[in-house]
Amino acid sequence: MWNNIKSLFTGKSSRDVAKGRLHLVLAHDRTGLEGGRLQEMRAEIAAVLAKYVTIDPEAIEIQIETHSRETQLLVSSSIAPRNA
Amino acid sequence: MGRAIVITSGKGGVGKTTTTANLGAALAQLGHTVVLIDADIGLRNLDVVMGLENRIVYHVVDAIKGKCTVQKALIKDRRMENLWLLPASQTDEKDSVTPEDMRSLVFELKASYDFVLIDCPAGIEQGFKNAIAGADEAIVVATPEVSSIRDADRVVGLLAAADVPARLIVNRISASLVKRGDMLSQADVIEILALDMLGAVPLDDQIIATTNKGVPAVLEGKSAAAKELIMIAKRLAGLEEPERASVGFFTRIGRALGLSATPA
Repeated sequence: MWNNIKSLFTGKSSRDVAKGRLHLVLAHDRTGLEGGRLQEMRAEIAAVLAKYVTIDPEAIEIQIETHSRETQLLVSSSIAPRNA
Repeated sequence: MGRAIVITSGKGGVGKTTTTANLGAALAQLGHTVVLIDADIGLRNLDVVMGLENRIVYHVVDAIKGKCTVQKALIKDRRMENLWLLPASQTDEKDSVTPEDMRSLVFELKASYDFVLIDCPAGIEQGFKNAIAGADEAIVVATPEVSSIRDADRVVGLLAAADVPARLIVNRISASLVKRGDMLSQADVIEILALDMLGAVPLDDQIIATTNKGVPAVLEGKSAAAKELIMIAKRLAGLEEPERASVGFFTRIGRALGLSATPA
């Protein structure tokens, strides 16, 4: 309990930091996608989206998340209005 | 027909060999016949952890190459009725044994013994492939650290691809560090690896002392780690209820709400 209160003021416990790092590392390990390949994929997805809608290719976010043994790829991008 | 169980981890130094020695001794104490195979060819260690290093004549590669019978290569542990060790070779290369060799060796031993425990080498290369080849099931040992859990996750994936069902032992857990927020808890590790739990062995000085002497801690019996290892042996043998409280509160709620594909 004290740790929970303490972490409210001082930031995350090292246990929470470890958990967060593991979730990220394992998500990438499980897909076998290294950082460089991920950026290539991001650029290709941006190119495909740009064929249909107006987007800012630099503003596309790509994330890999893992829950239990399920891994998800999340791509988010804002789309500019038609006449912009 | 006996059961062949491989003890593996990916990362080295997390306690595979000590776990193998202790589970083997505990299962033998429960009255089962047990053979321990040291599959770490070229870097054998199970013999010294068991305190049997002075009695080796033949080893696993001799038995596989037909230089002696399998029975002749087994070293009987004199402290117990039912325990034998098949030591690794210290001079051969890992690739002097094939997965097929291991499969037939383990199959032969399963015919005569209740449990065949295989101590897997660190890594995921040839030695790992050999060690899991004959196994019906696997125990993954992980310590509550980022590097160990990362490697364990890799091994869990490889075991699943090889159709070997796996369960988890969290090793060297310190309740006080978990409480202080400076160590991952057993629930954290289970949540991350999404694996069934066999037990959590506490960090315990006695393991170092008994390993120095070449005596499995469960034979001296009283330490916290020894008690948990005996409990795990009972769970393996189906004598105890499986570990509960293995899945986190929010994961369970998530599962109840259908947010996760894993069955509760």
